[in-house]
Amino acid sequence: MVTGEIGWVVAVNLIIWTGLFLYLLRLGSRLRELEKKP
Amino acid sequence: MRKLLAWLLWLWISAVIAGAFLYAPLAKGFIGQSSRILFFHVPMAWVSFVAFIAAGVWSLRFLYFGRQPRHDRAAAVAVELGLVFGVLATITGSLWARVMWGAFWNWDPRQTSIVVALLFYGAYLALRSSLEDADQRARLSAAYAVLGLVVAPFLFFIMPRIMFSLHPQSVINAQGKVEMESRMVQVLLAGSAGCTALFFWIHNLKCRLLAHAERKSALYE
Repeated sequence: MVTGEIGWVVAVNLIIWTGLFLYLLRLGSRLRELEKKP
Repeated sequence: MRKLLAWLLWLWISAVIAGAFLYAPLAKGFIGQSSRILFFHVPMAWVSFVAFIAAGVWSLRFLYFGRQPRHDRAAAVAVELGLVFGVLATITGSLWARVMWGAFWNWDPRQTSIVVALLFYGAYLALRSSLEDADQRARLSAAYAVLGLVVAPFLFFIMPRIMFSLHPQSVINAQGKVEMESRMVQVLLAGSAGCTALFFWIHNLKCRLLAHAERKSALYE
């Protein structure tokens, strides 16, 4: 497989991982807000 | 501080993804690029094992240190996540088997043992959902998860080694040596560490979410 094709695979993997990461980050901050409420 | 740690984890796993495809060399004797799946398959199987052991440890803490609901909750969440990572490890392993062995499923001892492990922990969730009384559910499922402290190491490490298997040798082989190209070992260890951190992060979020839901439902009762 040439580097260009591998580059696409890396990019797709990074997009999936970044999506999951941002979702978890957002979930964490919303949870902190909820926990602060009495 | 929490956000900084989270972003460090993003950077770490991103580096592992890039390293798996652009830094680590291909393993000898594997068809095409198939050996690269190792950098995802092994960390997922490892995290699945860590999760099942963590569930056993939290269950022991529940049984012997004050029967606190948070320990029961932590054990249940660990089993759920262990099953998710176990299924992902099984899928990635099957994809690799299709390329190397010609079929997705071959009843190899490693494939069989992971299925037995998944069934064992699937039964844990079935046990939990079948009991309505919260105290009884927590006690019985904790005892079951403690049994897993013996079952999981046997299924993950002992059974595949005492039977003939087509599966490639473990990272640490039967002679106790690591016979793998050093760049592959680096990416593999970094991937395993990153996935373990990801497991504990998701675990923490899910436990807090459940605790919040329980507090809310207690308020409305």
